[in-house]
Amino acid sequence: MEQVKVLLFGAAADQAGTREAEFTANGVTLDELWSMLTLKYPALSPMRGTLAFAINGEYAKGEEMVNAGDEVAVLPPVSGG
Amino acid sequence: MTDGSFRIVDGPIDVGALVTGAFRPDCGAVATFVGTTRVDEGEGTSVEYLEYEAYRPMADRKLEEIGEEIRGRWDVGHVSIVHKLGRVDPGEPSVVIVVASPRRGPAFEASRYAIERIKEIVPIWKREIWSDGYVWVGSQVGTRSTPAE
Repeated sequence: MEQVKVLLFGAAADQAGTREAEFTANGVTLDELWSMLTLKYPALSPMRGTLAFAINGEYAKGEEMVNAGDEVAVLPPVSGG
Repeated sequence: MTDGSFRIVDGPIDVGALVTGAFRPDCGAVATFVGTTRVDEGEGTSVEYLEYEAYRPMADRKLEEIGEEIRGRWDVGHVSIVHKLGRVDPGEPSVVIVVASPRRGPAFEASRYAIERIKEIVPIWKREIWSDGYVWVGSQVGTRSTPAE
């Protein structure tokens, strides 16, 4: 079965205790995927307001759709430079 | 015609080569911005080094996007941005931006714009490694017992 791959970075990876997770999901919104993610990694919940997300390498908002085979990234506030 | 490059690297950045690589006969100004690791002092502790990570290849593409934005706004002959990942020791460069333009105004403005945009849209993160733990900059999450504030 095709999975959605979730990559976590920086502080979000720390809070979840993992850098990568997989979920069986297809045709769900990013917000719905977030609910699945926080069910598995509750420590992520308080970070929600600080996070951005990407679907397949491009910034995406909560109502956007995630399909099987997509790569979703959980992005804490960027701090390059 | 604009030349230049956008790169994310693991090794040290050769700042001199990047600057001279921007010299062109049709440009009379080369502006360079170098971001280096600054050591902050806490109570009895200090930052030992910084460590950077990136979401690739999105971060690479975002650097290129910044280059496109700059070419759309200013008359520039060369734009290069190089960002280092991994460990960066105090006083060492983590990011180098070089912009060449026929005149100095656009070169200064575009190099300033590039570093501000990097801090807005490029998925790169740094953590400060202190003697007593680390802190993710911007998230204030980490392992230090005495959080920096």
